[in-house]
Amino acid sequence: MTTMILVENVAKTFTLHNQGGVRLPVFDNVNFSVEAGEALVLAGASGAGKSSLLRILYGNYRPTSGEIRITHAGRAIDIVSAVPRTVLDIRRRTLGFVSQFLRVIPRVSALDIVRDPLLARGASADEASERAKAMLARLNLPERLWHLAPATFSGGEQQRVNIARSFVDPSPIMLIDEPTASLDAANRDVVVELISEARAAGSAIVGIFHDEAVRERVATRYLDITDFRKAA
Amino acid sequence: MTIHQSIPGEDTKPAYNYAYLDEQTKRMIRRALLKAVAVPGYQVPFGSREMPLARGWGTGGIQITAAIIGPDDKLKVIDQGADDTTNAVSIRRFFERTADATTTEMTEDATIIQTRHRIPEAPLTSGQIMVYQVPQPEPLRKLEPRELETRKMHAWAEYGLMQVKLYENIARFGEVTTTYDYPVSVNGRYVMAPSPIPKFDNPKMHMSPSLQLFGAGREKRIYAVPPHTSVRSLDFEDHPFRIQSWAEPCGLCGAKDSYLDEVVTDDQGGRMFVCSDSHYCETRREQGHRGTMLADASASGLVEAKS
Amino acid sequence: MTVHVPPPDATLDPDPLLSVAGISRFYGERIGCADVSFELWPGEVLGIVGESGSGKSTLLRCLAGIDKPDAGEVLFRGSGEPLDIYSVSEQERRRLMRTAWGIVHQNPRDGLRMDVSAGGNVGERLMDRGDRHYGKIRDTALDWLTRVEIAENRIDDRPRQFSGGMQQRLQIARVLVSEPKLVFMDEPTGGLDVSVQARLLDLLRVLVRDLGLAAIIVTHDLAVARLLTDRLMVMKDGHVVEQGLTDQVLDDPHHAYTQLLTSAVLSV
Repeated sequence: MTTMILVENVAKTFTLHNQGGVRLPVFDNVNFSVEAGEALVLAGASGAGKSSLLRILYGNYRPTSGEIRITHAGRAIDIVSAVPRTVLDIRRRTLGFVSQFLRVIPRVSALDIVRDPLLARGASADEASERAKAMLARLNLPERLWHLAPATFSGGEQQRVNIARSFVDPSPIMLIDEPTASLDAANRDVVVELISEARAAGSAIVGIFHDEAVRERVATRYLDITDFRKAA
Repeated sequence: MTIHQSIPGEDTKPAYNYAYLDEQTKRMIRRALLKAVAVPGYQVPFGSREMPLARGWGTGGIQITAAIIGPDDKLKVIDQGADDTTNAVSIRRFFERTADATTTEMTEDATIIQTRHRIPEAPLTSGQIMVYQVPQPEPLRKLEPRELETRKMHAWAEYGLMQVKLYENIARFGEVTTTYDYPVSVNGRYVMAPSPIPKFDNPKMHMSPSLQLFGAGREKRIYAVPPHTSVRSLDFEDHPFRIQSWAEPCGLCGAKDSYLDEVVTDDQGGRMFVCSDSHYCETRREQGHRGTMLADASASGLVEAKS
Repeated sequence: MTVHVPPPDATLDPDPLLSVAGISRFYGERIGCADVSFELWPGEVLGIVGESGSGKSTLLRCLAGIDKPDAGEVLFRGSGEPLDIYSVSEQERRRLMRTAWGIVHQNPRDGLRMDVSAGGNVGERLMDRGDRHYGKIRDTALDWLTRVEIAENRIDDRPRQFSGGMQQRLQIARVLVSEPKLVFMDEPTGGLDVSVQARLLDLLRVLVRDLGLAAIIVTHDLAVARLLTDRLMVMKDGHVVEQGLTDQVLDDPHHAYTQLLTSAVLSV
């Protein structure tokens, strides 16, 4: 087994300078690792810091202390201390983030949004289009929407575009935050399948899933972050 | 050079220094000329003096001529190609009176040819000096109004903007419509305004055996093209420089190789094309060349019927 | 479905394109910018954000070589030996400006020749570098007008006849036609309506990515920074108070001033 993520002694405290310097400790002394082919589901009550931890793994939030080693192109790199361009390279090639929300970019069609990661990794335009279309079809996004910019789509439609973009070419590490929140049962099933397929192909998965049924079907292991909270 | 000074009251001539300018001024101008010759196409600033005619009427050319003329010189002055126009006559008389100069209308006899608007059709020879009157010496001025900036552009040969002007012409009219003062590159280095000569005359500057001096009195600049120096008209590879051509030859002398002016002959819409270089045209007629309209023109008194 | 395995030897560029060390500029007693240092790699887009008077425009003018700082050094590695941009001759600096560098001004009038046609504006940099084939220059200009979404039949119109958004797009085409390695942009969407801004931002985003441009963008608009930049420097009173990945700085701001900036904006 390849260790894809190794978290050592991570702590996070928010300091709100403009509200009297109030300090909000989130967690302390976080230690865990994730192997390739695993699906680690983060557990814990709402507000326990699951999303914050996921964002720290992505290099979006900066931990107050600790290291996070990401296996990138065969080397373990600490994403906390890495320079911005290294972080961007890790995200481009190793580390995918699937959020609940699609960041809508003006004037870019759904199909182009899904094609984009394939093109960025060097796929030909034709191949990228074929795979993108197949993925949108699988997620039941009506074909008439493919060439439109998703700004006017419903929440569920936007979410499916976002999932298609993330799973059209799964990264070695996938960080997933509530991907099924506003999906119907059929599409939820598709998402569960996509996650399982990515895992079977060797991706390391770390996710947050509110829906208990989804959680049960996806998880190979649980991590309750409430444990780290007590120490904080 | 002998300093010629007449004594007031002794005769009718006023007491001007030889060739009007004082010797110090002539030296200053000669120094500017030497630098200009040494750096072909480069505009040398000089202390332009007040002359007894308005700036813009050839004061730059007159100052250069005054600085280089001597008693042995033969001066020809042309304006619009003609020796007999007011300005040409006045300038010739000016140097006859102030420099005891011999004047001539014969291109091949002249040692100094001061000109506005034309280069004579007859080939220039080694030892002759062309003096051009220049209203605007800065070829980039219309494109870039700041003097400091144009100086930097020349200093570092940043001439893309000049090409933009030609581009604009072709884009708008299908060809470069600049027909006079057409910019040239001198010795492969400086872009230079050739003064308001027609672009027809540009090729005559290239590798000319004569020394070419340019004076801009109002703008206080002198520049030069030494003999046998490359003078290339700016163009594009796919829109090469071309000179004007006419469908018919000169109506008076039948020349097909000279620059023609259109002359209206009556109020009935009659017109003819004749050489703008009056000396060249006359010489050809004296040699027996006949244009198709020579008889008409003689009859109507437009040209003197010469035997 | 297979997991994409990154190629083992996809090495990043070893040297930064721009190395900035200790740039300071003072206006008498007042600080323009103080002790700014950073490195910029090929293809990176750096945003400089802060309020009016924070020193971001002063810094940009120093970086772009328009002003000389009172202290500090900027090394540019375009090709061959690194150039110290303050010690090279003005001639060399001007040459850089016309070739490897580009500046997109906030006001398109500062970056365009208003009396020259759109085609001539785009073609100038080509003619600067010695291109002398009218047909090829025009074809390249047409191609660039298309890329910035200006209709081909406007090629002979002058910028005066264009809307503000079109003028800005024309300015961008004029700068990018020479395929610069580094572009400086000063509030590129500054004077434009919101709807026009969106189009321009998207265009810039695509061009920057497709051309692999390195860019330094000064803006007070955090949404612009979010969309266009990889990294962010936050300036206050002439000092860089925080820097990092754009999403780090905007989503998890550490400095009091950055927290104030981000909280003052509706969801970016």
